[in-house]
Amino acid sequence: MLPASLDEAVRAMAESPGAVPVAGGTDLMGAVNAGLLRPMALLGLGRVTELRGWQYQDGAALLGAGLTHSRMARPDFAALIPALAEAAATVGPPQVRNVGTLGGNIVSAHPSGDTLPVLAALEATVTLVGADGAREVAVSHLLTGLDPLRSGELLAFVRVPLLHAPQVFLKSGGRTGPARAVASVSLVLDPARRAVRCAVGAVAPVPLRPLEAEQWVAGCIDWDGERTVDPGVAQAFGEYVASACVPDTGSESPVPTTARLRRTVSVLARRALGRALK
Amino acid sequence: MSTPSSPSDAAGATGAAGGNGETTLTNLATVREGAPGSATGAALGGLLTASASPPSSAATPVTDIDDAIRAQRVGIGVSALREDGVAKAMGVYPYAADLWAEGLLWGALARSPFAHARMVSIDTRPALAMPGVYAVLTADDLPPGPDGLPNGAPTGPYVADRPILAAEVVRHHGEPFAAVAADHPDTARLAAASILVEWEPLAALTDPDQAFHAPPLHPDGNLFRQLPLRFGDPEVVGEVVVEGMYQVGRQDPAPIGAEAGLAVPRPDGGVELHVATTDPHGDRDRIALCLGIEPDRVRLVVSGIPGATADRDDLGFQATLALLAARTGHPVKMVLTREESFLSHPHRHPALLRYRHHADAEGRLVKVEAQILLDGGAYADVSSEVLASAAALAAGPYVVPHVFVDAWAVRTNNPPSGRMRGEGALQSCFAYESQLDRLAAALDLSPLEIRRRNIMATGDLLPTGQAVTCPAPVRELLDAVADEPLPPLPVDRPDAEWLLPEGPAGAGDPAAVRRGIGYAIGMVPMLGIEGEDEVATASVRVTGSQASVICAAVDPGSGFATLAKQIVQEILGVEDVYIAPVDTDQPAAGPSARGRQTWVAGGAIERAALMVRQQLLQPLAARFAMSPELLSIKDGRITSYDGVLGVPVVEALEGKDLWATAQCRPHPTEPLDPETGQGDAFVGLGFCAMRAVVDVDIDLGTVRVVEVTAAQDVGRALNPRQIEARIEAGVTQGLGLALMEDLAVGEGRVLAPSLVGYRLPTALDAPDIRVAAMIEDRDVVAPFGAKAVGAAPAVVAPAAIAAAVRAATGMPITRLPIQPEDASV
Repeated sequence: MLPASLDEAVRAMAESPGAVPVAGGTDLMGAVNAGLLRPMALLGLGRVTELRGWQYQDGAALLGAGLTHSRMARPDFAALIPALAEAAATVGPPQVRNVGTLGGNIVSAHPSGDTLPVLAALEATVTLVGADGAREVAVSHLLTGLDPLRSGELLAFVRVPLLHAPQVFLKSGGRTGPARAVASVSLVLDPARRAVRCAVGAVAPVPLRPLEAEQWVAGCIDWDGERTVDPGVAQAFGEYVASACVPDTGSESPVPTTARLRRTVSVLARRALGRALK
Repeated sequence: MSTPSSPSDAAGATGAAGGNGETTLTNLATVREGAPGSATGAALGGLLTASASPPSSAATPVTDIDDAIRAQRVGIGVSALREDGVAKAMGVYPYAADLWAEGLLWGALARSPFAHARMVSIDTRPALAMPGVYAVLTADDLPPGPDGLPNGAPTGPYVADRPILAAEVVRHHGEPFAAVAADHPDTARLAAASILVEWEPLAALTDPDQAFHAPPLHPDGNLFRQLPLRFGDPEVVGEVVVEGMYQVGRQDPAPIGAEAGLAVPRPDGGVELHVATTDPHGDRDRIALCLGIEPDRVRLVVSGIPGATADRDDLGFQATLALLAARTGHPVKMVLTREESFLSHPHRHPALLRYRHHADAEGRLVKVEAQILLDGGAYADVSSEVLASAAALAAGPYVVPHVFVDAWAVRTNNPPSGRMRGEGALQSCFAYESQLDRLAAALDLSPLEIRRRNIMATGDLLPTGQAVTCPAPVRELLDAVADEPLPPLPVDRPDAEWLLPEGPAGAGDPAAVRRGIGYAIGMVPMLGIEGEDEVATASVRVTGSQASVICAAVDPGSGFATLAKQIVQEILGVEDVYIAPVDTDQPAAGPSARGRQTWVAGGAIERAALMVRQQLLQPLAARFAMSPELLSIKDGRITSYDGVLGVPVVEALEGKDLWATAQCRPHPTEPLDPETGQGDAFVGLGFCAMRAVVDVDIDLGTVRVVEVTAAQDVGRALNPRQIEARIEAGVTQGLGLALMEDLAVGEGRVLAPSLVGYRLPTALDAPDIRVAAMIEDRDVVAPFGAKAVGAAPAVVAPAAIAAAVRAATGMPITRLPIQPEDASV
């Protein structure tokens, strides 16, 4: 099935609830080819052009779910939502970035999905469109399963508030070439609310928000002045984030060990704060 | 890599002077059907003509390469291009997975989900009941063992202990126990999955240390080989003693293409196999034995090989494929998934090495004591040979008067280990080079100085008592890499973008990056060791203006076919040389492993070509009334010693059909003494020196290799560009082992058998690789004086990178691959 518009796509989904929508297919088709997934039907979203761009709406950007990573990594998008652009630029090799989409990254909900911590830090919401109309759900609610995707629903748009302030995404994959994140940290400043928001990806099934650490460090920043902090504060913030996001035990695989992971998260959070306040 | 266009690129080429070859070389870069490796076309018809593009379109994008070639000469010492290079770059080269035959069935294997388990019962009826399934085979369908019970027709290169299909007991995760042929690949896989097995899981032996005392996993016991090496006086003690324990992980060859093949039944009850093997004759004999038929009724045709760094397919795959075809009477094709490929083919031996180096106050080595433990996996494969290399080269290319080594290779329930570029030599190299760095630190000497004080030269003794009679220009190699200028620091080039560890736009922080420089030297044995009968046969035929070479030496991408062509061009002055596709109807040339083909098969081709040359020159000599020795062939002309008389080669060949077949058998070696490890076990040794420059993010422990500079002892550079490519390949593979490649195993089960879980170096991870020198010190016993070049770079690169990380971080670095926690401060 190859619908040409969002309405058509939603109708098609309603008619054949077993169909699986496919956009870039970088995760889905791999699973299909490996025989892990046998969908009844595939619903190709490639022709739904309205999902492939973005528009402005009430101080927020409404991003189409079909935005590719390479599109998001371009400078015009980076001026809008820098952290999302940085995250998109680190996704896989160029071949994957050229077809992989923002919506796919959210729906796959892989723990190491690179855009997920950014969306969590930005407190983005998604628009889910079904036969009964559209509804707005916070990304974190969707990912944690608090408010899951219902049968016949399509993820159409992602609403991201425009903060007009520094944002950072940092990812450690342990090598120079493209790699899955061992840990990633996204940090955004929200000067209007005098808040720092931070999310840690890849260390848990969903991105984690160290809320106490955020509040503490927001209190350390001189918002009206230079917006800088003492290196000691950055260091402490890193450790605060790491201890909040990486539990003492219970790490599934022995490598990387808990201590190692904590150290990585702490370094990433410290550097992220440093770059955001530069 | 630049395209050679000036005569200086062909430095060292003896036949590189003069030049009237411009007009005759235009056809070199075209894609020719029946190119080496594409044996498929002839037997299966239509495939090649369908997939290979016409020469005209293939030649269009390579005009500048074409021009570059035209400016060159042919023969030895020239950087000739691979015959199949353009086809491979354009994606039209047929590999084993592209084979097709009318009415073929698809094969699939059922594999063990356990690392160690007993099969209480096996029920194949659900699989047979599925529509479209033609045959389901288990160990019961193979020839029975000596006691009349099915034993899975065990096979192996030295010890026949690995069953084709497991009988009763499975000993590693992914070991096949049943094979299915069906009319669709999915049906075959589903049928294989539907076979009911009642398993009784057994405790998996995964720690090689435990193998000595654990109950035997196999009737042959858990110890593949124990090799003590006693050289000198055990009582000697040095003034400075350093000790270390080193660990090498499980590297996978991860070939670009997974195992694939096609078997076609023959009317005489035999079978014809189209597979990407590197040892066609050895595999043919072993398959015939497993099937219980005569070797002559099995024919192996070597198809396009998608990457091999020594052994490629495991024999179980080929033999079951043959058996399925023989049973069903249909052609059967089998293509393994990447997951199966990771489970079944041999990996590099994981190793545990304990070393103690004694030196005097000046830093001269007095004694080396070592204990080496190799994890051979579930079956013997080549573990005994790998162990001998590791033990005999345990002291490295250094002069050490007293050496004591105890080495063991043991059986475990881990994935199978086998041959892989520099096997054995690599594990030791990482350990002895790490020890030298430790010693340098203890004595407050530079890593270069400690190596210079102990370095080996021609005539020195190996710890096996064998004198190194081949050229050993190790000092020159080390000097060559040490003299090369270092790559600029980012501070020197503020405008250039600095690629940090963690990659572009990554988390790397320039303030946390430390640069380190490390050196390593190493050596590898060439050819089979310990009395292995090395022999190859080749035929050369010349008709009219074309020469053909029939030699069953497989070119798995190593460039041997190109060398074979250059050898014939050099000796006969014929430019158009056709290398016949390889099959087992040709006389044997042995496996393409241990860097032996250039020497053994190359030597056979040289001799055959020289015999043809004699046949060609004799009548001319009679006509000129001089002996044939006074005639030479150069630039496509036969000329007399005084240059007065001459005739073009093409003219002399007119109407002639000359044939010659010759064998090459290098001088024999002897097994190492089982009590003392003494003996002349090696035919020759190759050496390599490297300098690695790394950037380490000391907070995250991420390493980026900035540059690797290599100097290699090549004997004689037959094709300099090809050698550079081999060095680049070896360094990149070595970098993989040093930083990221490790097949993770838990309780004997491979945890992530995919290219996501098993990380290979990408273009961003690969460093700048520079060749500081190819030292051409001819090995008089080798044909053309050329040494094998493929393995040495892969052996030395991990040690050099580890040394550089050590220099950058001050951490000891005792395991490969280097983990972030080892490299963060």
